[in-house]
Amino acid sequence: MNKTILKAILAANLIMITVLVFIYPQLMVAPGKLIPGHTQINTDCFACHAPLSGVLSERCITCHKPADIGRLLTTGQAITKPKTSTPFHQALNSQDCVACHSDHAGVMRFMKKSHFNHALLQKTTSEQCQNCHKPPTDSLHQQITSHCAQCHTQEQWKPTTFDHTQYFSLTGDHNTRCVTCHERNDYSHYTCYGCHEHSPENIRRKHIEEGINNFDNCVECHRSASEHDINDGDGKRNSEKEDD
Amino acid sequence: MITSLWRHHILPFCLLLGLLAAATLAGDYLLHRLNLLWVGRYLGIPGTVLIIISLIYSLRKRKIITAVNPKALLTFHEFTAWLGSLLVLIHAGIHFNSILPWLATVAMSVNVVSGLVGKLLLNQSRRHVQGERENLQLLGFSRVEVEQALFWDAVTLDAMTKWRKVHIPIFIVFVILALGHIISIFLFWGWV
Repeated sequence: MNKTILKAILAANLIMITVLVFIYPQLMVAPGKLIPGHTQINTDCFACHAPLSGVLSERCITCHKPADIGRLLTTGQAITKPKTSTPFHQALNSQDCVACHSDHAGVMRFMKKSHFNHALLQKTTSEQCQNCHKPPTDSLHQQITSHCAQCHTQEQWKPTTFDHTQYFSLTGDHNTRCVTCHERNDYSHYTCYGCHEHSPENIRRKHIEEGINNFDNCVECHRSASEHDINDGDGKRNSEKEDD
Repeated sequence: MITSLWRHHILPFCLLLGLLAAATLAGDYLLHRLNLLWVGRYLGIPGTVLIIISLIYSLRKRKIITAVNPKALLTFHEFTAWLGSLLVLIHAGIHFNSILPWLATVAMSVNVVSGLVGKLLLNQSRRHVQGERENLQLLGFSRVEVEQALFWDAVTLDAMTKWRKVHIPIFIVFVILALGHIISIFLFWGWV
């Protein structure tokens, strides 16, 4: 084949490809299909992309009003089946859409699959777990209405960070309702006078008889119901001394 | 004759191309296995840089530079272009997202094949056919008989000669398509 003809064919093909790039950018240069909700802007790359800057949140917000996200569609209709129980985009620290969202099948493949980052929420909102999360229905959690962070982190639900036996073993009669010791579901405080067995008067009398004057913080010495498991203040528990 | 040319020239050429394909698949597999897919996104950059560096040989061949031994530069050209192509192939991966970069990849692959044919096989094959022709003539075969015996070797050689002619034009096509891909990435991707 004549070299000039070959060059002419290649040049014609390149011109054709260039034309196709501008007519069908979604096929020629876009990294995969858009999500179904973005079908209408399939050929309008600059609806989301800014030249040399990538996707800008400002362009997302022109359609997705932050106040409506989770409540209304971009068409103004109410969302019948929301993905989250509570709209939360209104309480985000910043409107950085691409920090969490992506599009184009080829790009979304590279997105790290991570769970929701609670640090994105405003502090007051992030502390109100029950606004977004339904409490578990087991017998323990049914007794608790708040202060989730005392046991759970915002990174993951399990494992919990709290081990009650480090403070007090819930054995025998002490395996009871949480509110017996933690009044008003406040787990930052406790009382040992929530049952009929312990009253301020009989506790005071018993300790005075033993020559103990400082008995306000019970768990400082008592970590279980066992009478032999008592820390006498020198760093050792009586049960350990018996082993010595 | 056909068997001889195949075993001594075409087969090594196929093995070299096969090595490129195998290395591509191995690289792609490792990136997936080690959860390093993001690395593949950036391998196009060093791959392109290596291919550009390999063009020093073209400058020497056209006497734009004269300092370095052309044979050494040819070896350098083969190595850097092969390695650059490998990185670009791993970068392309197996994901078909858009047509333009894939056209560029196809053009680059054609260019690699034509380059290997032209630089690694053509001269050897030409010498091989010439040697066979001389042997047959020494054995007393007539010119017609020699041409008949070497018919398929001659056809193969002719096809290889055409591949070499494609090398530069298809490289220009590759450059234009790759530039289109690079410009579109700069235009649409957020680098900051």
